[in-house]
Amino acid sequence: MTNSINNLELVKELVSKTTTILKEENIDVQQLAFEVNTCDIHHVLSVLKSAGWKQLSYLSAVDWPDENKFEVVYILFNWDKPVYVQIRTKIDRENPSIDSILPIFPGAKYYEREAHEFFGIAFPGNPDYEKQLILEGWDDIPPLRKDFDPSAYSDRKFPSREYPQDYSVTDEKNHSLEKRAERKARAERLRTGGKKQ
Amino acid sequence: MKEMKLFLGPQHPGMHGNASVHMFVDGDIIKRSYLLPGMLHRGFEKQMERKLWVNNISLIPRVCVPEPDINEMSFATAAEKILKLEVPERAHWIRMIILELARISAHLMAYGGLGGPTGNYTLMYHAHVDRNLILDIFEKITGARVYHQYIVIGGVRQDLPDGIEEDINVFIDDLERRLVEYRDLGIDNASIVKRIKDTIMLPEEVVWELGVTGIGMRSAVNKPYDVRKVVPYARYDQVEFEVPVSDYSDARARLDIKIKEIQQSIIIIRQCLAKMPEGPVRVKPDRGQSMRWTVPKGYAYAPIESSRGEFGYYMVSNGGTSPWRVGVRGASYPQGLLGIEKYLPGTRIDDAALWVDTMGICSPEIDR
Repeated sequence: MTNSINNLELVKELVSKTTTILKEENIDVQQLAFEVNTCDIHHVLSVLKSAGWKQLSYLSAVDWPDENKFEVVYILFNWDKPVYVQIRTKIDRENPSIDSILPIFPGAKYYEREAHEFFGIAFPGNPDYEKQLILEGWDDIPPLRKDFDPSAYSDRKFPSREYPQDYSVTDEKNHSLEKRAERKARAERLRTGGKKQ
Repeated sequence: MKEMKLFLGPQHPGMHGNASVHMFVDGDIIKRSYLLPGMLHRGFEKQMERKLWVNNISLIPRVCVPEPDINEMSFATAAEKILKLEVPERAHWIRMIILELARISAHLMAYGGLGGPTGNYTLMYHAHVDRNLILDIFEKITGARVYHQYIVIGGVRQDLPDGIEEDINVFIDDLERRLVEYRDLGIDNASIVKRIKDTIMLPEEVVWELGVTGIGMRSAVNKPYDVRKVVPYARYDQVEFEVPVSDYSDARARLDIKIKEIQQSIIIIRQCLAKMPEGPVRVKPDRGQSMRWTVPKGYAYAPIESSRGEFGYYMVSNGGTSPWRVGVRGASYPQGLLGIEKYLPGTRIDDAALWVDTMGICSPEIDR
């Protein structure tokens, strides 16, 4: 096994020769992160693949609504020169689209389908990216976007019903309702930063 | 001939978990196939974004049901990488004991699972008895049998109870003696050897195309590509163990590696018990209130060697009291989805269940 410091230098050199690096991070002794321009993604990935980083460990996206961007993440790994490389790029949040990396990494097929399902990012070049994978009959905005509110969705899908009788209290003498109210108030105090009493 | 559609799972003795393999067959040869995931989707990645860092500890073990501890470890190491938090020395060793016991239990479950598709149920019962003994040890250490919530950010929840070393030693000595028996019941058993030998091959180029890791990869590539060796976490760089490999990846070779890995895990646990120092087991991040502490801005990916391959959490924090994004890289993603679609066609119907079992496919971690 080769020296990990040399491997880090090698990756930095490879990426900096290929493209302009917008941001660079050393996450630990065996992990690096680069932010690059969207148009350079395929070039960087193919250069790294031919240098030995031929395993695509992960592909996903992160939502940044304040900047109005999606960040697409690719994590590559080389088993002989063990350095994890995160390649990130930001794309527009309106009509998000980034070319598929299927010709470089065939294993990306299902990761891209999942990213389309959960973020709504289009991957032209991947023949199946629009097919449904995990969410059956989904009828809302993609759920991992930050503006999707799960509790509003569940209220809409499963509206609360009126029950003719409250079955939660069976014994009149026990004070479970009072205890519950007390617990709720205490939790509320803690949540709002109050001191324990 | 006419094509017919067959379902393997979700209710089938050869299927592990709530997923279904759809196969289009001609005779008993599979022509097309794909996995239908999503029956166990619980929206964990979204829920994690809405809970505190501490709250998430109760949620993450549910991501992979047969082997929950890798989730806790991966979540904790990812957060510690962003926090730049040093975990106490003793906690590392306790984590390793827990992870190796979990690996043995997952391997036993997968190896016993061979009993379903091959009809050799004795093997399954034996494996589950031994797995149950591991769950007893877990119950003594953590208070829970399956979902332990024991490995937390900053160490482990509490120290090992008194006398647990003896319990572990008794169990692993016993299991080591029984490994020969497991071989005889499973991979050397003449009644099923025909089913597992030279079937469902995994050639080396396919490994690289799919991105398969773990036992599938090591059985085909013949190199010790194990995250514990290559990117050591906890204190795996201070223990001695071998990574079993092979250069001919049929179902039997992969099961053989499983048994050898159980042996190596036993060796690791013995070293951990001998080398474990005394001392504290947990540090608090100390960033804000007791529960509502924050994690600084940052990105980290924490890979862990699970029983099925490289398992990792991709974590993004924006400095808040809950994670901004947690992505789960399930170890069974490549072989479960793309592997079934591309490399099952051409094999026979009865091989599908063996692929699912020997490659290690865990449907909850595909669905999340």
